Amino acid sequence: MSNKITLGHVHMSGCTGCCVSIADTFQGLFTLLDNYADLVYSLTLADVRHIPKMDVALVEGSVCLQDELSIEEIKETREKATVVVALGGCAAYGNITRFSRGGQWNQPQHESFVPISKLIDVDVYIPGCAPCPEVIRNVAVMAYLLLKGNDAQKKLATAYLSPLMALAKDGSRIESDSEACGCDIMLKVVNQGLCMGCGTCAASCPVFAISMEYGKPNIDREMCIKCGACYSSCPRSFFSFDVCGDYENILGAITAAMNPGGN
Amino acid sequence: MTKVVEISPTTRHEGHSKLVLKVNDEGIIERGDWLSITPVRGIEKLCVGKTMHQAPKISSRVCGICPIAHTLAGIGAMEASIGCEIPQDAYLLRLILQCANKLHSIALHDILALPDMYIPGTETKINPFTPEEPVRTVAKRIQRLREIGQIIGEVAGGEPVHPSNPRVGGMYYNIAPQAKQKIYDLAKEALPLAIAQMEFMVAVFKNFENRDTITVGKSTVDLPKTFGYHNQGYMAVDSIFQSSSLDFDPKWDPNRWTDVSPWNWYMGEVTVDLEDPDYPIGGTSKVGTKAWPQMQACTSIPLYDGQPVEVGPRARLVQFKNYDHKGAMGLNIAREMEYPDCLYTILDALDVLDCNGSVLADEIPQGDGSLGWNANEAPRGCDVHLARVKDGKVQEYNLLVPTTWNFPTCSRALEGAPWQLAEVIMRAYDPCVSCATHMLVVDENKKIIAQKLVQ
Amino acid sequence: MDMLGKYKSCVAARSTSSEILKCSQDGGIVTGMFVYALEEGIIDGAIVAGPGDEPWKPQPMVATTPEEILAARGTRYNISPNMSVIKDAVRQYGLDKVGIVGTPCQIQALRKAQLYPVGLRNVTNKIALAMGIFCMENFSYQSMKQIVEDHCNVDLHSLKKTDIGKGKYWAYTNRGAVSQIPLKVTHKYEQPGCHVCLDYVANMADISTGSVGTPDGWSTVFVRSTNGDSIWKKAVEAGVFETKAIDGIKPGLELVTKLATEKITKNQKEVEHRATIGVGKGLRNPYI
Ligand SMILES: Cc1cc2nc3c(=O)[nH]c(=O)nc-3n(C[C@H](O)[C@H](O)[C@H](O)COP(=O)(O)OP(=O)(O)OC[C@H]3O[C@@H](n4cnc5c(N)ncnc54)[C@H](O)[C@@H]3O)c2cc1C
Ligand code: SF4
Ligand code: SF4
Ligand code: SF4
Ligand code: SF4
Repeated sequence: MSNKITLGHVHMSGCTGCCVSIADTFQGLFTLLDNYADLVYSLTLADVRHIPKMDVALVEGSVCLQDELSIEEIKETREKATVVVALGGCAAYGNITRFSRGGQWNQPQHESFVPISKLIDVDVYIPGCAPCPEVIRNVAVMAYLLLKGNDAQKKLATAYLSPLMALAKDGSRIESDSEACGCDIMLKVVNQGLCMGCGTCAASCPVFAISMEYGKPNIDREMCIKCGACYSSCPRSFFSFDVCGDYENILGAITAAMNPGGN
Repeated sequence: MTKVVEISPTTRHEGHSKLVLKVNDEGIIERGDWLSITPVRGIEKLCVGKTMHQAPKISSRVCGICPIAHTLAGIGAMEASIGCEIPQDAYLLRLILQCANKLHSIALHDILALPDMYIPGTETKINPFTPEEPVRTVAKRIQRLREIGQIIGEVAGGEPVHPSNPRVGGMYYNIAPQAKQKIYDLAKEALPLAIAQMEFMVAVFKNFENRDTITVGKSTVDLPKTFGYHNQGYMAVDSIFQSSSLDFDPKWDPNRWTDVSPWNWYMGEVTVDLEDPDYPIGGTSKVGTKAWPQMQACTSIPLYDGQPVEVGPRARLVQFKNYDHKGAMGLNIAREMEYPDCLYTILDALDVLDCNGSVLADEIPQGDGSLGWNANEAPRGCDVHLARVKDGKVQEYNLLVPTTWNFPTCSRALEGAPWQLAEVIMRAYDPCVSCATHMLVVDENKKIIAQKLVQ
Repeated sequence: MDMLGKYKSCVAARSTSSEILKCSQDGGIVTGMFVYALEEGIIDGAIVAGPGDEPWKPQPMVATTPEEILAARGTRYNISPNMSVIKDAVRQYGLDKVGIVGTPCQIQALRKAQLYPVGLRNVTNKIALAMGIFCMENFSYQSMKQIVEDHCNVDLHSLKKTDIGKGKYWAYTNRGAVSQIPLKVTHKYEQPGCHVCLDYVANMADISTGSVGTPDGWSTVFVRSTNGDSIWKKAVEAGVFETKAIDGIKPGLELVTKLATEKITKNQKEVEHRATIGVGKGLRNPYI
């Protein structure tokens, strides 16, 4: 496994917090770039001006339907990248741009923002605002194993990525029932008789919109920013016994991958 | 004869922007327009009607590099509108958060600025991601400084990127003694690293400034002695933190601020007639490309006393510390000089922080629609949020963010430089372009401008 | 389905501290382990079910002293969302090595969060010890209150301990009275989410423990992960617990296996049944 994969960061209508989260792998960033991935595109971090061909595109931000350039860019990203990852709440679900309604200087016509999956097929979702650097790291390592690894490694990577791929698939459906909001927790977990009151949803919310009342989540909808973290972190949204039961090996493999020198 | 060259998109900064440059036969910029082409998500408009608690959480997401400044300025504006004073310990936590963000932000800018610079004494430009020494050691130090900034942000702010702990009325929680100790230890660790990093960067910037020529892509150009100079004034409200309309002696005055529309400020339609396919990486826009800055710009032009002003690290040092180094490198050096103060301030704040103190105001009024503002000295400069809150809901919200102030000032600073170095000047401002979008005031005496612009 | 999960060893054990045993639910394994780990610096705090604002209502808390850990002893048969404070433990409390106790589902939540820490940056890598407790089912606060007050005829304020064992729900009062009701009566009060639960003995914990399989006052302990194994060995060596081989114990692992199989088989059926509950429609299956 010598050759690296190529990785790009595509910036749509986002705040760059997702890009900061990539950089927030801190020392791990060097390990990733030294061993596994060449950063071939990132307006914020590198000088390349036009989207090149790449293995994995990490797309940040939603798409403004009134901005032709954005629509062209997202389509180009799909054409040029083997794997498209919606990085962060905005790309995956729209996040705060779901509230946008135009009317602001100097482009008052910029009114409609949609998650990238509404315009192109997306392969992997990383929800959250900002997304968690460890998830970005895990996805990068798994993408590397998927594209460059042996059969066993491909199998592991597929198993790990499947739930994030399923989220992407769901989001790509025109009539997706994902609100990317605390409502998902209600609609798809509590209303389905699946919630057991662990509280993970409340811990993962970045705006304290979820409190646990008598063991069940209460959503303050006037705080929720629609990042999608709560639902995807809930163990009753998706849970694979094979992957989670193998947590020691998988976390161990990731740790080993991030310490190639063994220190 | 004047020719037009366009660099689009510009790189190594936050967001999408471009440079439209009119240059003379020698390639020297006669007039430069630097403008945001980031789609306008309309944060100011979409916050109208939302609760005062949610609006700052949304406006934090205007930018992921100064999110803490936006959160604090947003919350501060809401508090100013409703007239709410926060407890001392909440103030201290916010101050710590402010400095942590600045620490990470300066370090991040180091990564973005370095590729333009040379290793002193060599002709080698610096790629911060190379595994080779001495760069790797510096890069690791930068990442450690960022990491420390972000961890302090996590602890004091709840989240490192968009902080969750600050809220209208104070903070959601005070930190435990062990968390306080953690911040203390981290700040102590960072202090010598920050000083070493500052010294390294200052040497690198001075080395650049003292060069005669600079190579960009395949061309080598002369470096003017007045590289990135402008004659505009400076605006800063505090050396570190903030001022607000609740202050006894507010340091900012909404009456001195006006907005000009891009229509009245930027160039009209032009056609690119000079291109350089070797400009790194991907070349400049092709000859024949049309550019129309006054239509394409995504921000308005805020003026203070009728003129563009510079905001940011140099503005603070000029206002509060007798600093007078001009030009693009002067600005870069000023930023580095803010490193140690971030940490001294954190350590001082911790000394007085009482972990048992209340961090939430006893009473949080719901607001009667009065105008309140908070001006926060974000890493990139003064970030003014203005709000009117009535019955707990936002009626009006304006964000005069640092890069919006700097767009016109930086545009002027481009004049006289070879166009190949325009991005170096722009990057000295450490632009955060996504945030730089803001709509117009509906203040009584300014209604006329607003109406004219809407037409 | 693997009924008892992977484990390195299984023993009967109880704490050697009479102070801990005084109020612990069973062998004081959880409390004994946390106090030891805290004193040894293996953890610098633990997430436990602390006292809440109503009688017998647990409130997840970050305990950083042995006193706080001791105060959270004993089982409260209603929901304590322990995962909800995992972020606070690392941020607000500034801990670097966190212990957490949880029911099997909470430990599942933790392991998922470690692999996919969405919204939990820099938090889940700080978990130093995850103690799992066996669990057949749990109840909402109101359910528990109705069971105790209506069916056992015990006022919550005079309740000393509740327990589930030998097919019965037990309520002990401060004044020494004991009520018991058949578990049949409690079934309708169970938390619905428990009916799709496919784990009885916290298969993904570092160490998991429960009363089933061992005599009163003792606990059955599964040592599962490499991390759990090394901490357990140290604790036993330090004399924190007395242990007996599980083989000679009655009813022993046989009963544990039986109950685990019953629970999982029943719930597996429920998962399948849910897929057909509507007309041409089904409820969501979280496991695919
Ligand atoms: C809902 C529930 C159902 C259970 N079902 C079974 C069963 O079917 N068979 C079996 O053998 N054992 C069961 N147990 C486990 C058993 O009751 C004991 O908790 C376990 O044996 C540990 O005892 P100990 O003496 O080692 O722990 P102790 O030292 O008493 O410590 C118990 C720890 O559990 C925590 N805790 C208390 N209540 C809760 C709660 N509701 N949620 C999360 N944490 C809590 C406490 O804070 C404390 O830290 C169940 C526990 C619960 C909470
Ligand atoms: S998901 Fe959050 S961090 Fe990422 S671009 Fe959107 S607002 Fe910024
Ligand atoms: S409730 Fe919180 S975690 Fe869930 S989508 Fe809304 S903001 Fe995100
Ligand atoms: S995370 Fe836990 S508490 Fe939240 S909805 Fe899911 S099961 Fe319920
Ligand atoms: S039965 Fe399962 S879901 Fe219910 S509390 Fe116990 S472990 Fe959790």
